[in-house]
Amino acid sequence: MSARDSILATLRRNSPPPADHPLPEPAVLGEADASPERFSASLLQMGGTMLDRQQGATLDQAIALRFPKPGLMIRSLVPEATGTVRIADLPTPQAAEPVDVTIVRAAFGIAETGSIFLSEAQLHLNAIAHLTQHMVVLLDPAQITANMHTAYLRPEFHTARYGVLMSGPSATADIQGVLIRGAQGVRSLTVCFAPE
Amino acid sequence: MKEKPVNHAAAAVAFIADKPHLDFHDARLWDMRQKRDAQMHLLPEWQDLRSRASAIKEHALANLADYLEEFERNAKSNGIHVHWAADGADHNRIVGEILEARGAKTLIKSKSMVTEECDLRPYLAARGVTVTETDLGERIQQLDDQLPSHIVVPSVHKLTSDVARIFARSYGTDPNADDPHQLAEAQRLAARPVILHADAGMTGGNFFVAETGTFVVCTNEGNADLSATVPGVHIATIGIERVVPRMADLGVFIRLLSRSALGSPITQYTSHFRGPQDGSEMHVVLVDNGRSARLGMADFWTSLKCIRCGACMNTCPVYRRSGGLSYGAVYSGPIGAIIDPTFNERKYSTLPYASTMNGSCTNVCPVKINIHEQLYKWRQVLVEHHQMPFVKREIMHMAGKLMGQPKLYRAAINGTETALSTLPRFALYNWLNPWGKNRELPAPVKETFHSWYRRNRPTAGRATPETVKTETKA
Repeated sequence: MSARDSILATLRRNSPPPADHPLPEPAVLGEADASPERFSASLLQMGGTMLDRQQGATLDQAIALRFPKPGLMIRSLVPEATGTVRIADLPTPQAAEPVDVTIVRAAFGIAETGSIFLSEAQLHLNAIAHLTQHMVVLLDPAQITANMHTAYLRPEFHTARYGVLMSGPSATADIQGVLIRGAQGVRSLTVCFAPE
Repeated sequence: MKEKPVNHAAAAVAFIADKPHLDFHDARLWDMRQKRDAQMHLLPEWQDLRSRASAIKEHALANLADYLEEFERNAKSNGIHVHWAADGADHNRIVGEILEARGAKTLIKSKSMVTEECDLRPYLAARGVTVTETDLGERIQQLDDQLPSHIVVPSVHKLTSDVARIFARSYGTDPNADDPHQLAEAQRLAARPVILHADAGMTGGNFFVAETGTFVVCTNEGNADLSATVPGVHIATIGIERVVPRMADLGVFIRLLSRSALGSPITQYTSHFRGPQDGSEMHVVLVDNGRSARLGMADFWTSLKCIRCGACMNTCPVYRRSGGLSYGAVYSGPIGAIIDPTFNERKYSTLPYASTMNGSCTNVCPVKINIHEQLYKWRQVLVEHHQMPFVKREIMHMAGKLMGQPKLYRAAINGTETALSTLPRFALYNWLNPWGKNRELPAPVKETFHSWYRRNRPTAGRATPETVKTETKA
């Protein structure tokens, strides 16, 4: 018998009575506030930042103010910003590694946790979300969902092959409990509300 | 050959002797527990979430074979290769074959307790594959040739100076570095080129979803997503018990996991893998390794509900003051003490005794595993199976006789009080009294409760069973 069949047979033999353990209906619990204010507050708690954008300033200008160091490689995956390098020049993870700032639009955000959702539909090359040093994320305030329960009702979880909820930048507290924002993935994550 | 039982108590003695490490370890884990409490108090629905999480897991386990088949069907139709491993050897062989078929010589890995269970790294090393752990804490442990001491924070028993020493040896950094930021940056810089040029990547999985064929990885550092998305091959090793029926069920578990583990509302990364990216391969290895047998153990099957948050470890006074390595097992702390004996009953026969039976582990468990009751049950099982050290067995034997005979018991208790107040230390603290190691015996009392009661309640003895019962309740 294959490992598969023997595992399944043992499970069927050993399982507690299924009738004693019914499946509860899917739950939608908790705070239902889906406001941009709640999202921002949660994002800040997770170590993320909101983009400071003066009235009338273009997205490129606001990003230049956020990342003032000259000569940065800025790669835009959105029509609202131009960046400094062309997407076509970075077809592989190895080529994309030196990118400093990546600008991308999230499919949606979650107010409870300040999370943004990205998939291959937004990223094209999934690794870019983790190789880039910094990330600027455009989020349509109309696409903020209240909490994790409402989030999992979104269709993206049934269509994306890779879907990542990023909640602030990468972080670690593995050395003597000291919280360090910017571990191995993005060093910073900045969200800009931008209706689509 | 029979393996010797882990000497948890002796290892704990060594841990306690090092005060700076002990103090930090105790305080750090208690801080995690307090942060967890703060998150819990923010959610009025917390207990509802726990009940639902428990019910969903129990349902999934009671129908596990069906859900595994459903997952396999959906994952395959999304282009994921699904493998089944009966045990650790099976798992390692499968991973080895995937790598060999692609000529892969370098593997980058994010943290996975199941691969620790299977002892994957030495297996692959013997076959010429270089395995690099990419999680900071796990990498520290790999470089120091130690098991992770905690399932969420693998190197929590180490201080910055320990990490500086290890990194100096392996990365050539300053051995006197005292800034964790500097050391974390060293790890980032050392890991990047390895990640960029690795032949294959490996992750664990916190959950998998039968309905969609998705698996979910919850992490903080970004290394798991790098390991999964940069190389062209992604292998995920997952225990068969981690299935949930529906995508909608994930909301309950994601809300509980990081709040229980670290006291943060969510992990920085919650990654859903439903199929390979264009031009890449994705493999899932479903690992049994004793789980299907455990499902048949009436008293212990609910330990399979565990989502590996580590809350029971953080709250456990014994774990906090003995350290994960003292358990001598892949899984430590209260959850380790109830699942390790299912892997090797003799070797881990001492672990269910590493508890004060205070029940805090059960109270913080997000999926409501009755951990302290299972600890108690394991003690019974181990005694029945004669897995008890000679001295403890004899003491229990004598105690059983004493407690079964009230008159004898009272005489002995009076004698004990005399002994405690008159005997010299060497007669009280020796190998016949394991309880007295590192602990002071209770101060002798002038009078036992029983003799006080007889003196002050002249009607005692005439009480009906009903009134006794009521008094006990009050």
